[in-house]
Amino acid sequence: MRKFFPVDSLARDSRFNQITMRQSQADPRSVLVGDATKQPRTNRLTPSRPDASDRARGLMHGIFVGEIQALEGAGRTCHDFETGTPDSIGTVPFALKLDMARQAWDEARHVEISVKLSEWMGTEIGQYAENTVLFEAACSTDPVLRLAGVNRALEGLAIDVFTTMKEFGDIAGDPYLEFCEDWMLADEVTHVKMGSDWLRRITENDPERRAKALEFQSVVDKIFSFGGTRSESQESPIGLARRFRELAGFTDDEVDDIATVSLNALEERKAFAQRAQADAVEQFSASSPS
Amino acid sequence: MTVVEPATFQFVSFDAALIGRIADDLVDALGIDRPVHVVVDETTPLGRVRIEIGDVITIHAESGAFEDSKRPREQSEVSTTASLGRALLRARDRLTGGFGEAPADGELSLRQVSAWETYSVGRLERLGVPVNQQRWRYNFRNRHGFTDLADLAFDRIWSADGLTWGELESISTAGSAEGAAA
Repeated sequence: MRKFFPVDSLARDSRFNQITMRQSQADPRSVLVGDATKQPRTNRLTPSRPDASDRARGLMHGIFVGEIQALEGAGRTCHDFETGTPDSIGTVPFALKLDMARQAWDEARHVEISVKLSEWMGTEIGQYAENTVLFEAACSTDPVLRLAGVNRALEGLAIDVFTTMKEFGDIAGDPYLEFCEDWMLADEVTHVKMGSDWLRRITENDPERRAKALEFQSVVDKIFSFGGTRSESQESPIGLARRFRELAGFTDDEVDDIATVSLNALEERKAFAQRAQADAVEQFSASSPS
Repeated sequence: MTVVEPATFQFVSFDAALIGRIADDLVDALGIDRPVHVVVDETTPLGRVRIEIGDVITIHAESGAFEDSKRPREQSEVSTTASLGRALLRARDRLTGGFGEAPADGELSLRQVSAWETYSVGRLERLGVPVNQQRWRYNFRNRHGFTDLADLAFDRIWSADGLTWGELESISTAGSAEGAAA
């Protein structure tokens, strides 16, 4: 079986349309800039938003495709690396493979739950574009970078997303949504904890490798915060779930760093949207007959 | 013939002529008695739609209302039809009588909006417009409660034709938490 599978070869049927993060971020439209009277008071996903149902459906579909990619990523980590000792680069301890196998089992269950929740909310499989960035973070040739990028950064984001969705279900009175998100949240906390524990154990005698992994995590955190998707600002649809992150092994300083990175990313997204809108107008003017 | 603004789009790949054709077809199918003007705000990906009714019906739509969610920034004919259809049915309801007591659009509660949307989409489905009923049931439940009573109200509204505002409001209230408590 092939090792180190490229993102453009993931198996999907014709219902899916995959887009990259670059394509996703090239959209010059944004609710973060422009006429303030047209902007919602808050972008946070709550049932009080007039478009709450549709936004929740879109986010649920994002969770669904994220679970598929997380399953694929954890499975690849079991297979891509030979069994070895913690300090030999390119191999992983057998116990780490067992954790990844357990995670793959969890993610498969999450995919099934997400399909059922999507049906419940009136969404069809593949109705929204699939952003493949999660699997891209799972393609590193260093298993420690995968743990940092996927288990700590992306599964950490999943903690924030599930917390937001659980609260949504609670406030809306949707018993299935609240229940399912709560159970999946419990698994995500475990996945992040596994990533934190293995990162510490594998890099115990290799501070340089640990620093490189944490730097990679920071990059992935920022990519996922780009667009202002997740931060402590009300301008972001998803909040930062500090308590659950603590349970998952993040220190207070680490959570503070993520909060800062997320807020900076939100500001960068606003600046980007302003530039992109100005560029689009300029290009349109240049191409229009005078 | 429907006028669409802008005639050419800068931020999205939408076709003003297609929007115009869809609106014209809906105007014929729904028996709308006056010209329609569609103004698209392409600077936002949100999907809100509002209407102004005068000698002309003006539909202000954010680009997300006509977008293909699978292919960002591209137009979906189905979404365009459903969004324009809902707006035009709401306009027709207000123009043909029976909806005189309905609050102005900006004053409708989220529950009332969801009930009226349900009434509109149910009628669109019977006109042959492809819709996902479960999507609208979920929206209705979010505003009325996740109860059997809410589902009964949804089914009644979805299959109804010729309701007045009073009838619509009465079914909606009966299906909500307030109705259940009364």
